[in-house]
Amino acid sequence: MTNGKKLSEKSIGAVCAVVSIGAFIILWYWGTQATQLGLLIPGPFDVLKAVGTGIVGKVGRHSILAHAGYSLLRVMIGFIIGSLVGVVLGLLMGWYRIAEAIFNPLFRIIRPIPPIAWIPISIIWFGLGEDAKIFLIFLASFSNTTLNSMAGARSVDPEIVNAARMLGASERKIFTTIVLPASVPNIFAGLQVAISSSWATVLAAEMVRSSEGLGWMIVAGMNNNDMIQILSGIVMIGVVGYILAIIMRRAEDVLCRWNKSGK
Amino acid sequence: MSEKKTKVKVNHLTKKFGDLLVLNDMSFDVEDGDLLCVVGPTGCGKTTFLNSLTKIYDITDGEILLNGEQVDPKKQNIAYIFQGDSTMPWLTVEENVRFGLDIKKIPEARKKEQVDKYLEIVGLSKYRKYYPKQLSASMLQRVSIARAFATEPELLLMDEPYGQLDIELRFKLEDELVKLWQMTGTTVLFITHNIEEAVYLGNKIMVLTNKPTTVKKTLINELPRPRDIAAPEFVKLRNEVTELIKWW
Repeated sequence: MTNGKKLSEKSIGAVCAVVSIGAFIILWYWGTQATQLGLLIPGPFDVLKAVGTGIVGKVGRHSILAHAGYSLLRVMIGFIIGSLVGVVLGLLMGWYRIAEAIFNPLFRIIRPIPPIAWIPISIIWFGLGEDAKIFLIFLASFSNTTLNSMAGARSVDPEIVNAARMLGASERKIFTTIVLPASVPNIFAGLQVAISSSWATVLAAEMVRSSEGLGWMIVAGMNNNDMIQILSGIVMIGVVGYILAIIMRRAEDVLCRWNKSGK
Repeated sequence: MSEKKTKVKVNHLTKKFGDLLVLNDMSFDVEDGDLLCVVGPTGCGKTTFLNSLTKIYDITDGEILLNGEQVDPKKQNIAYIFQGDSTMPWLTVEENVRFGLDIKKIPEARKKEQVDKYLEIVGLSKYRKYYPKQLSASMLQRVSIARAFATEPELLLMDEPYGQLDIELRFKLEDELVKLWQMTGTTVLFITHNIEEAVYLGNKIMVLTNKPTTVKKTLINELPRPRDIAAPEFVKLRNEVTELIKWW
């Protein structure tokens, strides 16, 4: 594909994004101005203004950016630990039958349990502080990365493995130089789902008990019947989630550039 | 005339899958520097034969010796080129060719020398930074060939490596293989179902029987190179192999 063609596809994508977001905002504005919807939610410009005020000023004890930062920090700690454990466990289960025989039955029981079902137990175990929230995010990211890493290790082409074995590669070398890189696209698919799941879980955890973060902002808005604050929190969730998705996609583009066809 | 050393010695090789006997008490020798083409009827177990030789499959009975020792790819220098693409898609062409040398812990200067040399021979120097997804089927097989030869294996096993390529590319890669074989003196076991290919390439042709597979006959092929597939001697030998292979 030529650079010119790539550029024009990118431009079309950017224009479409602006048009769809613009259309949504116009529809929202029209709905709040011209219909009964205005009694239920504030208009988009009131919310955007509140976000702007929250960035330079404070919502509660912190600015909106600081609230987003608190939530993001919790997500990152839980997500990184959960993903690391998930990738290692998933690859081991996907590649070594003995690891699968030992861990998979337990994993199959834990996997369908939604992270928020662990909230009461996490509070009993870790209290109402940071540890309980990080534990919940750990669970949210762990399951998705384990499952996808396991699928990646299982789908390694046996001819590549045999070729490496014939060239004298030890089992450990095969695991690190064949199984791990071959599983990277699957691992990334898992990480994408895991980051969304972690983000959803941190908000649930913050809604239970916290004094900062975007989840707190929303709950505080609800308690004060402040619709603008609730929507400001929701808008920030969307923005941060979007930025995280872009970062993940860029990282995938770099690490999996070999997986793209064409010169 | 100096006596050639026995490179591979196969004694009473037997392979069963459950009750199904696939390889039946096969015994033969491969001499050092041979390009031995193995042909047999479709489904006779040629790939099983190669996979048993390399211990990808555990054999049921018998022994396989390389230089007088039990075959072990971890200790001996063996390379295998498969029917399908076995390049590592996450490595560039250059890194793929380096892979075997990295495994064998070859010094860096020598690695570079070998990679450059074999990329040049297979005509991929220009594509060294490309990923496999950016290459054609014949280029992918050339990467596998360069990777295999770069390690200068004592024994190179090839399982119908050109079976999925069109005729023009096949001829080109066959000539490339002969050139590399003559240059390096590597012992090559080349499995094919294509009789013409076997006669074109091999200095020996081993004909296998239908299942349960055993060695029917090994023919010496002393036709001069480069071989002409239309020459009467070539056609005569090809017909002889065809007669031996016929099961109908």
